[in-house]
Amino acid sequence: MSIKPAALGASDKLTFLLSLVPYLMDHDRVSVTAVADHFGVTPQRVRDAVNLIAMSGVPGETRQYLHGDLFDIQWDEFENNDNIVLTHLVAIDDSPRFSAREAAALIAGLQYLSALPENGDRDAIASLMAKLTRSSTGVPSQLAVSRTDADVTISVIQGAVRAGTQVEFDYLNSRGTAEHRCVDPLRIESVDNDWYLRGWCHLREAMRTFRLDRMSNLRSTEVPADSHDDGALLPDTLFEGSADDLTVTIELPAAALELLADYGPVPAGPATTDGLSRAQVRVSHFHGLKRLVAGLAGVVTVVDPGLARQTVADWAAAGAARYDSPAGPPAARDDEAVR
Amino acid sequence: MSPTPEQTHPVTVEERLFSLVLALIATQIGLTKTEILSTVQGYRQRFRVGGDNASLERQFERDKDDIRELGIPLETIESQGDPGSNHHLRYRIPKGLYDLPADISFSPDEIMLLKLAATVWREGSLSAESRRALTKLNSLGIDSTDPVIGYAPSLRAREASFEPLSKAMDRRQVVAFLYLKPGESSPRRRVIAPLAVVLHEGRWHLYGTDQDAGATRTFLLARIVGPVVTVPGLSAAPADDGQGQRALAELDALWQAQIAVITVEPGSDAAVRLSKRGGPGSAADSVELHYTDANILADELAGYGPEVFVLSPPALVDAVLARLRRVRDAHAPLPEMEIGR
Repeated sequence: MSIKPAALGASDKLTFLLSLVPYLMDHDRVSVTAVADHFGVTPQRVRDAVNLIAMSGVPGETRQYLHGDLFDIQWDEFENNDNIVLTHLVAIDDSPRFSAREAAALIAGLQYLSALPENGDRDAIASLMAKLTRSSTGVPSQLAVSRTDADVTISVIQGAVRAGTQVEFDYLNSRGTAEHRCVDPLRIESVDNDWYLRGWCHLREAMRTFRLDRMSNLRSTEVPADSHDDGALLPDTLFEGSADDLTVTIELPAAALELLADYGPVPAGPATTDGLSRAQVRVSHFHGLKRLVAGLAGVVTVVDPGLARQTVADWAAAGAARYDSPAGPPAARDDEAVR
Repeated sequence: MSPTPEQTHPVTVEERLFSLVLALIATQIGLTKTEILSTVQGYRQRFRVGGDNASLERQFERDKDDIRELGIPLETIESQGDPGSNHHLRYRIPKGLYDLPADISFSPDEIMLLKLAATVWREGSLSAESRRALTKLNSLGIDSTDPVIGYAPSLRAREASFEPLSKAMDRRQVVAFLYLKPGESSPRRRVIAPLAVVLHEGRWHLYGTDQDAGATRTFLLARIVGPVVTVPGLSAAPADDGQGQRALAELDALWQAQIAVITVEPGSDAAVRLSKRGGPGSAADSVELHYTDANILADELAGYGPEVFVLSPPALVDAVLARLRRVRDAHAPLPEMEIGR
């Protein structure tokens, strides 16, 4: 699980200082590396923080920040052995409360996680949310996430990840081709309401991302999954480009670019039409594109290449044609001859 | 301007803030602004006795805000003998309100769950809030049970209006924005006291009191056009704890009440995905889908092109057909291309 390292502001640093003091108070002697591991920060950040804490305190009676007004540590232990021994405390000796927004961020995260099969225990989640509310300085912000029903697919895959076995399923790709896949499951990922399996596909002999809602006949097998270095091979982004990708030029209002963020649009200057911008996106084929563009009527228009434009037009025309006769003619299927 | 001789090293922002928190917790009766500026590390180096300390005072005002944003209860006490006077205001942080309540503890399982909950936010200010909440949790020194393997769930709020709306909600500010309803030719200005921001069916909604209508309304963040601005002089009543759940309950009720009936082409992407989401309808290959917003469903169904045929309601049929025709016509061959053929 990787999170983008964000630039640490003064707020983060202050929070770390205020959190480190009670932790050190509870640990008589602790190594810098142990603290770094526990807080998930670099050892250098721990050393910097300890140096700052040990020089800090309150103005005191004399208002001169005299020795007894400051925190103190065993400097020899710190400088020679990289161990922290806090010997004098000032003002604080307990963990700080959460802010209303901090509590809200965790509560909304918990509501979202309650969709996962392991977390189906609503009482446990509710009691945890109540604890967060009581641990916060203000009423947590009203940020709420609706509960989505746990899909059985998730528990089958999760069971296979735990057991280290392969799963198999029928998968319909966006070209409309159904194939039977055997996959070493590595990770279930989600973005809002969309859930994905990432794993090693034995058919393609490569890492692949599958939408859970495109799977049918999923079952777990007894076949052991191969070792894949515990997901270290998985790139951070869900969708990886490849060298064979096709570049497509589209027109859209600049504000709509974020709708296509997953496709990594590259701005390509203003369009000929007023108020619109051009951008280039890379797609592996035009069949995913036609679905995307048909779902964004009046927002995105494909300009180039002509074949991409044609593929979108044909798709929408075939859809519209179904309403021409009351019964609706048979649907056009993906024509494999057309890319 | 020369630095005071006492200043041996530049005081960093975090050192100044840390020193301010310590000083305000250590005091029982509170400190006046002058006492703070003249004695606390990071201010005292720049304080001029009897001089102009206006920029230092502004610094203190910003620092107070930053400290409160972290959930630290920085209080202002009015002087008994001189109410309303700014000069004799005293500042302090009551330790009892600063400390995590003594009876609160978390089990290793709960810590594990909270760590996973914090990773859900990958971007935006809630990712930073989650990170700070985890730091505070870590101060308790409880080791978490082994993390649930194989999960990387994430939530995101890409709408530009998300941050200003959720911040305004926290600060009880009333906001104004332009809102474009589908079918209307131009956006209309709305003035709203935000009550909750909720994610329902994968979309972010604002629930709030419409100041013109005097009633609660729900808005899709995706339809907010342009910036969200706060309205000076108006402030919202404190929201009670249940607003988020109330907003979700209203959206759920709407979702339950509205049903679309479609047929899906067997074996198609639409058949696989939409059949999972909806229930089977009475006709062959038909699927019944609940929905919250007809225009959003129409966008989605149009994406399936010929794989979906909408039977009802009639307004949805029209909306999908209009979208398909619009896409078809917008992608008619360009003149240059015809020459090339």
